[in-house]
Formats: sequence, structure tokens, C-alpha cells
Amino acid sequence: MSKQIIFHPGALDEKDGKFVQMGNKCRDCGKTSYPAVELCPFCSSENKEKVPLSTVGTLFSFSVTRVPVGPYKPPIIGGYIDLPEGTRVFGQIHANVEDVKTGMKVKVETGIIWTEKDGTEVLGYYYVPCEAERGGAK
Amino acid sequence: MSRVAVIGVGQTKFVRSYPGSIREMVFEAFKEAMGDAQMTVKDIDATIVCSAPEYDKQRSPSGVLAEYLGLNPQPTFYAESLCSSSTTGLRLAYSLVKAGLHETVMIIGFQKMSEISAAESQERMGRGTDIQWEAPFGTMMPAYYAMFARGHMTKYGTTADDLAQVRIKSSTYGVFNDKAMLRKQLSADIFKDPASPMSGILASPLRVGDCCANADGASCIIVAGEKKAKASAKKPVWILGLGSATASVNMAGRELFYSLPAATEAANQAYKMAGVSPKDIDVAEVHDCFTIAEVLAYESLGFAKPGEGPALIRSKETYKEGRIPVNVDGGLLAKGHPVGATGGSQIRTVVLQLRGEAGDMQVKDPALGLVHNVGGVGLYANVSILGRQ
Repeated sequence: MSKQIIFHPGALDEKDGKFVQMGNKCRDCGKTSYPAVELCPFCSSENKEKVPLSTVGTLFSFSVTRVPVGPYKPPIIGGYIDLPEGTRVFGQIHANVEDVKTGMKVKVETGIIWTEKDGTEVLGYYYVPCEAERGGAK
Repeated sequence: MSRVAVIGVGQTKFVRSYPGSIREMVFEAFKEAMGDAQMTVKDIDATIVCSAPEYDKQRSPSGVLAEYLGLNPQPTFYAESLCSSSTTGLRLAYSLVKAGLHETVMIIGFQKMSEISAAESQERMGRGTDIQWEAPFGTMMPAYYAMFARGHMTKYGTTADDLAQVRIKSSTYGVFNDKAMLRKQLSADIFKDPASPMSGILASPLRVGDCCANADGASCIIVAGEKKAKASAKKPVWILGLGSATASVNMAGRELFYSLPAATEAANQAYKMAGVSPKDIDVAEVHDCFTIAEVLAYESLGFAKPGEGPALIRSKETYKEGRIPVNVDGGLLAKGHPVGATGGSQIRTVVLQLRGEAGDMQVKDPALGLVHNVGGVGLYANVSILGRQ
């Protein structure tokens, strides 16, 4: 089996054989943030815990890039997803370009996002349209 | 309090690929600025060299350039804030002069982007964004500004044709600027013709024609304290207001996607320091790396109310004869964008305008000019206000 690494250590935690996207929850102000940082970005508290992020969010804005970037071939759909806990996350949306609309519901999936030249598989996350959105909502 | 003036300006032509090295390229801009200021190397007390280092083969270019330009043993410093590097240099030079450490300071901006391939350059430009949390997912500058374009369209009903109007204006003035890379008048048809390379989507909703092009080039600005400026320059142009601000690099930290808060903050600081308001500005250079960026600039600078930027370009008020002429040298869209040199080129244009030496691009009798220079996607913003008096 090829070597696997996470695109940034600690961004995903392994739970029951699955990778889960992790953020910070502040024990003082109660707000969730992503990515995990030393101090709560809202109240600067150090009193925080690592928590799994919500798996379903709303697409806030996106752009479809029509040229290759790094390991990715076009079309590359990149966008910001607003999670119910008030946190905004950037990621790719794996979908048909014509199905992607601002405001649609998307859910997170984890898996290999690219493979290094030496065969190392890099794990990360991406979003896919929720079932109700697939091929539907305009 | 003693004031600080710009007393010399120079720049190379901005070109797709400069045939020489960065030393020779910078020398061209240096020679023009030194001739303009009628100075010799002995008059320069310090240099600030500005570029975005991800494109540079030469590590620590300030030392190499100081030597090549005959500026040893004077001190030289290196300043970087992505695409706004050389106006950051202006702010630092102003501080050095005001602090009394140096009387005359030169700001050199340069970039030789052709040393690496276009694809590599895009990828490196993308590294100016958050390399830890965003770049791994395949980001590049046009995609970020595209999301701001989409945000502006959603919030205010801005259209792709509004954005095209910005490009058409830029091309109108690029024709007159012998330092510009693209000197061809474009019409709206070019965006409507599917066969035109300008009409192809690069990062939706932005088309190729909505984006400025990478370029090679250098700029050189000389500033001096009041005594020296009055003694040596026929037409000193005074630095009246400087504003500088930042915003989060990770766009997830930005609440709104239809304005750049750092630019608004920098503008407010500069207006306050100069004691002037947006309606007092006679000519402006704004950071139009993308057409949407010029629309956002109108609104950040108070030339238009939020959401009314598209109406300003549609009414041609930012043309040379309009209420507030913007980028009448062609802007980044026509000149090209050699990252580290761009801010210096903007300053040069405004200085020439205020001196009445802008030739075919001359605005009628301007007294106050403004430069808006942005690094990253509104990560860094510098706004500078210059005046004849």
C-alpha cells in the first residue's frame, strides 16, 4: 500500500477507520473556528478543544478555473462553504459545473486529493452536492 | 513639519519578456529617474528595493542592484508586500526621510516574471494566498477575484458587460502610453466573439479579458525632504497622505465578498492625513489587476457609493474628461503587471500628471492625485495622495 499523508497534519482525525475534518471550539465564547489556530480568532482565548466540523454546509461563493493549477486539471471548482456553526471553509466542489449554484447544500467527503511523484497519497477533503441538489436546484 | 516630495520618476517599458537580466532592466528605470531628478549617485542616501520574491532567481536582490547601480556604500533595504511592494517602499522611504535618517531615498520596484513559465508563475502567484489551508485545493489569483466578481454581481446586479467597460477604457489609454505592453484599442465585440481569446472564461465569471497580464519591468522613484526637494527639483510633487492596512489572507476570514476592507481603511487613513476628501481628487491610479478590482477600487476610494461602481464606468466619469479620471495611462490591464514594479509605475503616472507632463494622457490641470495599490486579494493595501502644493 502506498504511503498516505494528510495535506496538513491535524486537519483530519481518524475515527472508526474514517477521516473527519477537525476545527476548534472555544470553551469561553463557544464559537467554532477553522483552521485550528493557537488562539480563538473571536476572543483570543487559549481555552479551546478540537471538534469535528459539520459535514453539510451552504456554498457561499465559487469560481470555476479553466486552466490547470498544481496537480489539478480543469475545470477546478473552488468555493467557500458556510457551515451551520458559523464557520467558513474553502475547498473544491466535485460536481458537474452546470449543477453548481451559490446557496446550494454541499457535504464534505474525505479522500485522496492528489498523488505525489513518489506515489505518496495526500489526503484531504472536498465537497459534493447533497442528494437533493444533484442535477436539480437552479 | 518638514514635508517629503517625489523629485524623480522613471520606469522601463513593460514587456512580455525582457531580454536582459534584472540588473540591466532596473538600470533603465534608474537612469530615467536619475535624469528626471538631475542627480548623480552621490545624491542618493539609501535605496529600498521592492519585488515579490517568489519570481526572483536572485536571492536578496537589493545588494546586487545597489552594487550594479553604483550605490555602495549607501545602505539598501528590501521590502515586500506582493503586488503592492513598491508603494510599501514609498511609505518606508517617507518614514526614513521624516525620521531624519536619510535626506534622499530611492525606491526601486522590479519583477522579471518571464524567468519562469506562465503555469509556474500562476502557481507561485497562488502561493501569495494561504498556502496551508487554501492553495492545496488548487487556488490562483483570478479565482479569488472571480469570487469577488460573483459577490458583487449577486449583491448589486453588476454584469459581465459592466466589467468589459473597464477593459475598454484601459485599452483606450494603453494606446497612448509608450511604456504599456498592450497598446491596442479594444471594443465590446471582443468579449462577445466566442472566437476571441479575450472572451474565454479563465475563472468564472472572469474572462481572459478581465485579467491583466504578467510582465517584466522596473520602476524607480526618488523622494527627498523639503529642503533638498525645493533646492533640486523644478516641480516637486508632495506626499500629502499615506494609508496602509491589511486584511486576513485566508478568505474564509472575510465576511463580505463584494469589497476589500483593507483598501477602504487605507483610503480613509490617507484622506485623513492629507485633510482632503474623495471629491478633491483630480486624477487617480488604481490597482486594476482585474476589471472587478477597478470597480471595487471606485467604491473603496469613495469615488462611487457601494454598488455604484458599475454606474461610474458606464457614465464614463472615470475617462480623462470625466469627474474623476482613473487609470488614464491604461492601468495594469493595458500596461501589464510586473508585480514589484507596479506601484512605482502608478506613482510615476500621477507625478507626471501633477507636473503637467503626461502628454496625450494629460488630465486638465490636476492639483491632487491618488495611488491605490493592492497586494494579494486585498491582503495588503496602500493608498497614497500626492499634490502639487
